[in-house]
Amino acid sequence: MAATTERTRPRIGSHLFLTLLLVAFLFPVAWALLSAFKPADAIIRSPLTFDPTTFTLDNYTAMFQDVPIGQGFLNTAVVLLCKGAATMFFAPLAAFAFAKYQWAGKNLVFGAVLITLMLPTIVLIIPLLLEMKALGWVNTYQALILPGAVDAFAIFWMRQVITAVPDELLDAARVDGCGEFALFWRVVVPVIRPGLAGLGVLTVMNIYNDFVWPVVAASSERMATLQVVLSTLAQNITGNRIGADYATVTGELLAASSVALVPLLVLFILLQRHFINGILAGSVKG
Amino acid sequence: MHRHLLRRRALIASAGLAAAAPALAACGPDIASEDDAGPSSRLQAPDRTEGEITIWDRSGDLFEIFEGAIAEFNAAYPGIKVNHVAVDIDAKLQNTLITGADVPDGVFLDDAKVGGFTDYLWDLGDVLAPYTADIAQQKLDVNTVNGGVYGVPFDLDPGLLFYNATALEAAGIDIAAVATYDDLLQAARDYRAAVPGSAPIHLEQSAFLGQLQLEMYASQLGTSIADADGNLRLDTPEFERVLTFLDTVRQEGLGTRAEYLTPTDIAELDNGNQVFYPWAIWFSFAPQQVLTATSGDWRATQLPAWDAGGARSGAMGGSSFVLPKDGPNADLAWLFYEFLMFTEAGYTAVWGPGEVYPEGLATSIPSYTPAADPAKPLYSGITALGGQDLWTVATEAGAQIPGGTPTPAWWAGAVDYLGNNLQRMLDGDMTPQEVLAQSTEDIQVNLVDRQ
Amino acid sequence: MTALPVPAARRAPRAGRGPRLRRRLAPYVFVLPFAAVFAAFSVYPLFFTARLSFTDWRGTGAATWVGWDNYAYLLTNPAFWSSLGNSAVLWLLIVPVQMAVGVLVAVLLNDAKLRLRGLYRVAFIVPFVTPLVAVAQIWVVLFDQRYGAVNAFLGLFGLPETGWLTTSAWAKPTLALLFLWKTTGFIVIILLSGLQSINASIYEAADLDGASKARRLWSITVPLLRRTLGFAVVLQTLAVFQMFAEPFVVTQGGPYNSTTTAGYYLYNHITRADLGTGAANSFLLVVLVMALSLLFVRLLRAKD
Repeated sequence: MAATTERTRPRIGSHLFLTLLLVAFLFPVAWALLSAFKPADAIIRSPLTFDPTTFTLDNYTAMFQDVPIGQGFLNTAVVLLCKGAATMFFAPLAAFAFAKYQWAGKNLVFGAVLITLMLPTIVLIIPLLLEMKALGWVNTYQALILPGAVDAFAIFWMRQVITAVPDELLDAARVDGCGEFALFWRVVVPVIRPGLAGLGVLTVMNIYNDFVWPVVAASSERMATLQVVLSTLAQNITGNRIGADYATVTGELLAASSVALVPLLVLFILLQRHFINGILAGSVKG
Repeated sequence: MHRHLLRRRALIASAGLAAAAPALAACGPDIASEDDAGPSSRLQAPDRTEGEITIWDRSGDLFEIFEGAIAEFNAAYPGIKVNHVAVDIDAKLQNTLITGADVPDGVFLDDAKVGGFTDYLWDLGDVLAPYTADIAQQKLDVNTVNGGVYGVPFDLDPGLLFYNATALEAAGIDIAAVATYDDLLQAARDYRAAVPGSAPIHLEQSAFLGQLQLEMYASQLGTSIADADGNLRLDTPEFERVLTFLDTVRQEGLGTRAEYLTPTDIAELDNGNQVFYPWAIWFSFAPQQVLTATSGDWRATQLPAWDAGGARSGAMGGSSFVLPKDGPNADLAWLFYEFLMFTEAGYTAVWGPGEVYPEGLATSIPSYTPAADPAKPLYSGITALGGQDLWTVATEAGAQIPGGTPTPAWWAGAVDYLGNNLQRMLDGDMTPQEVLAQSTEDIQVNLVDRQ
Repeated sequence: MTALPVPAARRAPRAGRGPRLRRRLAPYVFVLPFAAVFAAFSVYPLFFTARLSFTDWRGTGAATWVGWDNYAYLLTNPAFWSSLGNSAVLWLLIVPVQMAVGVLVAVLLNDAKLRLRGLYRVAFIVPFVTPLVAVAQIWVVLFDQRYGAVNAFLGLFGLPETGWLTTSAWAKPTLALLFLWKTTGFIVIILLSGLQSINASIYEAADLDGASKARRLWSITVPLLRRTLGFAVVLQTLAVFQMFAEPFVVTQGGPYNSTTTAGYYLYNHITRADLGTGAANSFLLVVLVMALSLLFVRLLRAKD
């Protein structure tokens, strides 16, 4: 740890600055969570106040009635489990090969990985969609899971982490008769556990929050993930000329956003140490 | 330690990869060689009445209304099962049509967007033939592309002048005297004199709706952005006249600039600052559902004319039903729409009083003239309009909408140019002439020439 | 661990050639699952897009080969350049601010004796884990001109109503703020990791020289953080030039296309079913992003 050599001082300036930032960072989330319990028109008319006597669950009941959010959660859970598991196993495995082996075509493949990092998601959407059509996968879980499983960023990130594992450790294990896969499973994985935890939280977050591809790949409501459900609801504010009341939809939207936000927030607060240490492990240093 | 972020060799390798891609590609769309003069794309009525159809509607009140009408349809066609789903059509339709998977049999679509999808849709010329003589010409125009008719016309949306009768009366303004847009300007000036600080006329701030409203004004003059051959006709005296009117409203400070029924707009309507709303009949949704303080104060009348004796209405927006060629039972979906639009039981179920709107669907009128009979109202007194007989006002206005106003396939894309430039004019940054010249050039280069 | 000085290959293998062969084959096996998915769902579509970029194709029927037409159209189109301009302005609004705030916060949080350190760390990363679609909607409501909490708050100080999302002057900063809010926490953590690898003794030496805090930050911390900063800058440059979801949900590219980013402009072709032009636009964007990344890498190398 490189704590500065500063002797203990009150640090009022630092705290003031950090507290201001803290308020700015937490305000939007806190505002949304609280406002979802206000009557819909009060959200619009007096955004800054909260009157406990008008506490209401109306937005939630309306939202649960109008929005297929349960189905959204279910679909997201399925995708999360499958795609997450694939990424968590195959990405470190491939990254191991990139970090610790010499093999023909390595640079070419890694270059291709980097190129996909630079590729905006929407670039590939049309060809991917046609591919799904050719495979007969439109509106299936495969379509939501496979493209982007083991994504380029995960490879890049894990290669970063695994490169830091000392070669001597691997060589020593080989001398002990360790097979190549066992090397990965018994030596590398335990050592990079913090990095894996970071990747885990990042992966869960990316999959949970992804919406560009799911909007396109799941045209049917029964396949809509949580984010697709949310964005559809959001479209109702701007898209519907007739039949949508701004205040009601805003109330439902805040309720839906809260419901979507809370699971990740809880997960993150529970796992924050692992997550932060994981990012610390994976990023470029010095 | 190799901790460099992006290794140069890898980058160069990937650059090479990208450059080689076109040469390597055996993958890609089929390049045209054979002509795609496939089987006829004109839908024929089915000789069966059994099966299942999937119908897409956008969520909201209309979904509920069509949902309610399914029972009526099944009374006539018990063998057809309707799978009715609420869908974000703008986001989903194109991708679904491209992939051809799970394609619905019938889709509710904005008129302005029908032209963009015609490659994927059945030409309904044959099945509609028995009815075309009785369908509002404007609706046939917007659904016709290169001689084919691609949508079953749903609603007719005549432009009306909505006004706050209570506020105008208090200010001593006689709405009956407003017969032309010059009269409207004068009435607005008078109102502002009586209610200082008010800005009586609505000026639309959304680029899309602003362009839609512009087309309503132009439609009164029998014109639109492009003619039936797709040629631009924007830089014309008619459009200049409309824009000059809007620019005058702006210059004299007679307009409230807001997006349609956003909170700002609603507040200005409810506090009596904004009392004239020249808009399609679907504005009646506002006094019925959104406005609080002034609900019941609003009335509708025909639009002012551009010249005394001219047409007192123009079309604004509206929707139709399209039938994708890849829909497995599109022919049965035709039966569904035929029933809803062209039989009395059907159109009564849609527009008449029902669960969703106890007073009837007073946000539009049918485009099928026998259904839009002033003498046989599907709805009449609307409480939110002080009990006014909106049906009569709307059907009489609807009958005046001039035809000859087709919608080009690129209409929605034009919003980036015409819609935006119109807003720039309302910001005071462009003159009407500049808007027309600039938009014409941009639309020609970016849309017309790239079809 | 006992590190043996002998190169691995020369060590006596226990079971003849088997392990060595296995060691040579292993990476291919390890990479295979990833490579299969990658080839099928990244490389193949990429080639498809490349070919598509030379055609006029509306998503149905046959495509027409048009050579370089799509590229020529884009490169001579002011709208294409203004989409790049919008992204460049957003970059300027985001990246320098984020790096400055990021370094400052990371340095403060790196102080082990700072109270509430854990709380701050968690609070700053909360925005990063919240779903964008939800947050973007919250932004729309918060920054509403008439009813938004932001204007209501500023109104308390007598400040006039501002059209945050409805004027082209403010829409970009408002969008940039969303992006800053959402991602700065992540950047702080990345920078923290860089700081933690800096040897404390360097600071001790500086202390002896009596260097001021500000001076220490500027002449010791920042240079030593160069590579981590470079990583963060490249990461954010990629993100800013690919930015799509934020304008898609918050502004739909408006007002007056002022928030039509490079990524969003690309999407416009797709919604108009002009897929060939969309593909050409993709490649132009990839080349640009690649060039920028190379540029940053080069700049950072030069100082090594």
